[in-house]
Parts: sequence; structure tokens; C-alpha cells
Amino acid sequence: MLNEPIDNAPCIECGLCREVCPIFTILRREHVSPRGLAILADRGIASAVFYQCTLCRACRVVCPVGHDPAGEQVRARVVAQGVETEANRTMIANIRQYGNPFGPLKEGEIPKTLTCC
Amino acid sequence: MNLERLQTLLGPENVSTAVEDKIVYSRDASRLEGECLAVAWPSQAEQVAALVEWARAEDVDLAPRGAGTGLCGGATPQRSVVVDLSRLTHTGPVEVEQRRVQVGAGVVLGGLNRRLAKEGLFLPVIPGSHRAASIGGMIATDAAGLRAVRYGTMRAWIEAITLVDGMGRLHHLTGDALDDAVGREGVTGFIVEATVRLAPLPAQRTVSLLAFDDEASLLAQRDKWLADPSTGSGQAPRLTALEYLNRHAAAAIGWEARPHLLAEFDSAGGEINDPARIADLWCARDGLYPVLARSGHPVIEDPQVEGEGLASLLAWLETQEIPAFGHLGLGIVHPCFRPGDDRITSLYDQVAGWGGRVSGEHGIGLKKKPWVGAAFRAEIRQLKETYDPQNVINRGKLC
Repeated sequence: MLNEPIDNAPCIECGLCREVCPIFTILRREHVSPRGLAILADRGIASAVFYQCTLCRACRVVCPVGHDPAGEQVRARVVAQGVETEANRTMIANIRQYGNPFGPLKEGEIPKTLTCC
Repeated sequence: MNLERLQTLLGPENVSTAVEDKIVYSRDASRLEGECLAVAWPSQAEQVAALVEWARAEDVDLAPRGAGTGLCGGATPQRSVVVDLSRLTHTGPVEVEQRRVQVGAGVVLGGLNRRLAKEGLFLPVIPGSHRAASIGGMIATDAAGLRAVRYGTMRAWIEAITLVDGMGRLHHLTGDALDDAVGREGVTGFIVEATVRLAPLPAQRTVSLLAFDDEASLLAQRDKWLADPSTGSGQAPRLTALEYLNRHAAAAIGWEARPHLLAEFDSAGGEINDPARIADLWCARDGLYPVLARSGHPVIEDPQVEGEGLASLLAWLETQEIPAFGHLGLGIVHPCFRPGDDRITSLYDQVAGWGGRVSGEHGIGLKKKPWVGAAFRAEIRQLKETYDPQNVINRGKLC
């Protein structure tokens, strides 16, 4: 069970987070910006777009009100609403079945790819 | 609305009607909301011109959007296709001798100034949103900010603008024609590129922080500084910022609950010259709005009043116990309100009587249309006739 951040200040939609977000600075689409994700989360939208976030929290560092994106909790809600990426599903299944996110590995084998969210 | 044609023009990956996009582009930092029909991401001026041709054929409104940091709904769609210009990020070589650089509309001020610092230069218009604000948006709103008392507004730093108008024509605006785009909030066309002038970074900064018993004595000191910023040091220091905090705002960041002036000089004119102390003071000042927003006052306004009317404005805010701060060198004051506070209307109703303007730097957008005068409406109508006779760009904004 994930705990919600305590006293999480709501996003004021100023947009100051955009330029520190490693995903937004490449894609330059508002819906992947921390502000965009906050708007979508606030409306209860269930979308795979939440998996674009790296959970790095660079946005929180520069946020003037200290809003935490709480990406893990948002994703948990999205999964509960039936929206999940195939990569995430695979990663969770691998962890449950093999104890690691990579899937079956031979003794001493180093995985070439990380299947992640 | 023939979106397939639009997708052919821009590439399918650069046009979206996804519900996520329509939601997040339905509003800007003002949080005023409108209907977004689709979103387009052009990356070249020619694509913007093609978008306009498409909009004319379809009779669809195009809403220009920079970083979406505007506070008056200037980028809020009105049954519009939102045109996100943040991919126009071309930056030309810095012309150090001429102190200028050519930049795309989507270039962000914070990043630009970090790059320019290596050359000892900067674009000195520093709005509160400087970390994220785009050059195009700053031109469209004629941004001012913290150092406007020394450097003026964006208009003073623009040498040329490339504008795509409502007929899809490209204009290279210079001289007086710049006024057809600067501060026009996108109603005359899309600002796609600009040549901006640059200033040398000051070698030294000093500040003075003064607390006063009342606004009258504070305004007397302001007038003295504006008339002659020299503080008797024997040099001729120039005022680069003159920031005001009323007692409610000062108390919010832990300063004594009295009206304050924070003055910055580009030489040894201030009383404080320790860089760490100066950084602390600016950090506190920069954190003022966030503190007020978090304490329940997120609605920030920007009346601009000079002369005797400024005393009346500050007195009214004090009477109403409204936290306020601002760029007092230009008479721009930022009162902060709780959402839905009907005193915002009362404030703007009084601004004309105080001899001021309803917008010092945020613009008119949708929010302040009720206070726009007949002469301004006529001026905008005339500009529309010249640049956008079919009215396909930013309908319903300004007037």
C-alpha cells in the first residue's frame, strides 16, 4: 500500500516545472509536463500518459509551492482503473515470478535490456 | 473540421485530438478554461503559415500558446485549435559585438540567459516566470518584471520580429511596426521569431532593504530614489530593481510586518554588498508569491498606477488588508486574492479613477476585457483589419 504525501500543496499550474522535466524538454507536449499530469490526475483521468513520468521529482525541487507529483500513487489509481502499459505489466509479472524485473536469467547472466514502465 | 488535411500539412504526429491534450491545453496559468478542439505543434514558420491557410478555409480559430504561463487567459482556447509554439526553439549565433541574438518564439528565457552568461550578456527583462516563459509570450505580453525600472519592458529589447498574420503572410517587423505585435497578445498573428537586444551583465550588485512606518514615507523614499539613485557613495549607481512589499506580504515571508522597499543597484550604491545576503533577500522575494499562493491567495493581479493615484491604490489595499507586492519603480503592484474574491472587480473598477492601467504586465487576455476602453477597442479592430481580417487568430481576446 502506497501512502499519500502528507499536506501535499495543490498544483497552482504556473508551469515553472516544465523546463526541468526530462520528458517535457524532449517531447515539448504539455500533457507530459508535470503541470499537465497534475491537471489530468486532478480530474481522475485514467491514461497511459502517466507512465511517461520518470518519477525523478525534479519538478518538485523547483515547484514554488512544493507540490509533489505523487506519480506512484497516481499510477496505482490508474492501474486500479484498468489502464496499464504492457511493459509495466511484464515488469510486475517478472518481479513476482522471478524476483527481478528482467525475467528468467541463467546463472551469472547479465540482462541486456530492462523491461520497465 | 478537416483534421486529416491538417495532419497532412504538419505530419500526423504533430496534431492531436487526444482527450489528454484537449484537457491540458484548455487552460493556461490563469486557469481560465475554454474549449480546445485540437492541438498543433509546428516547428517552422512555414508550418504556421500553412496552419493559418487551413484555419481560413475551415473558419476555425487558432489560439497561439507559448509556455502557457500567462495569467489572463491569453492562451485559453475559445473553441480553438491551440497552436503550441514551444518547438520553435531555433537560436542563432550570439552576436557579441552587436549585443543581439535571433531566437525562435519557443526559446525559454531562463535557458537563453544561462547560455548568454558565458558571453557576459543577458536579456534583462526578468518576469517572475523567467525560468519557463518563452520569448514569444514575453513579446506578446510586453513583459516587464523585476528589473523593469532599469531596463524597461520587452519592447525596448526587440530589434525585429517575424510574424505570420491571419492571412498566412510573413512580416518582418522593425521600428514602429514592432508595436503591431509587441503587447498585442497574439491577436495580430503568430510571433515565430525575433531578434532581441542584449545587455552586459552588471559586474556588481548591491541592495538596500528598508522598512517604513507607513506607505507615505515609503513612497517619499521611492520618489527620491527614482529622481536620484545616488546614495552619497561618490559614484553614480543605477537602480536596477525597486520592489515593494506591504506589511501583509512582508509578514508572510517572516519579515517585520511593515511596508518594505528592496532596492538593487548595479554598483556600490546599496547598503548590503555581501553576495550571500543579497542572494538570501532575493530568494525571499522570489518566494513571496508561492508563499501567498500556498496561504490561500493564488489569484495575482497587476494594476499599474503612477503619480498620486499610486498612494490611493496602496492605501486601498492596506484598508482591505490585501497582501500585495510589486515593481514599484514602474508603479506595478501585485495584490493577491483568494479565488472568487469580489474585491478584484472593485479594484479594477477603481484603477481608471486612480489614473492607472488595468494591466501592468500580465496583459488583458480574457480576464480584463470588461475594463478595456473604447479607444483601445478601436485600435485593436484596426489592427485586426490589417493583419487578420478573417479573424482566425485568438478570437475573443483583448476586446
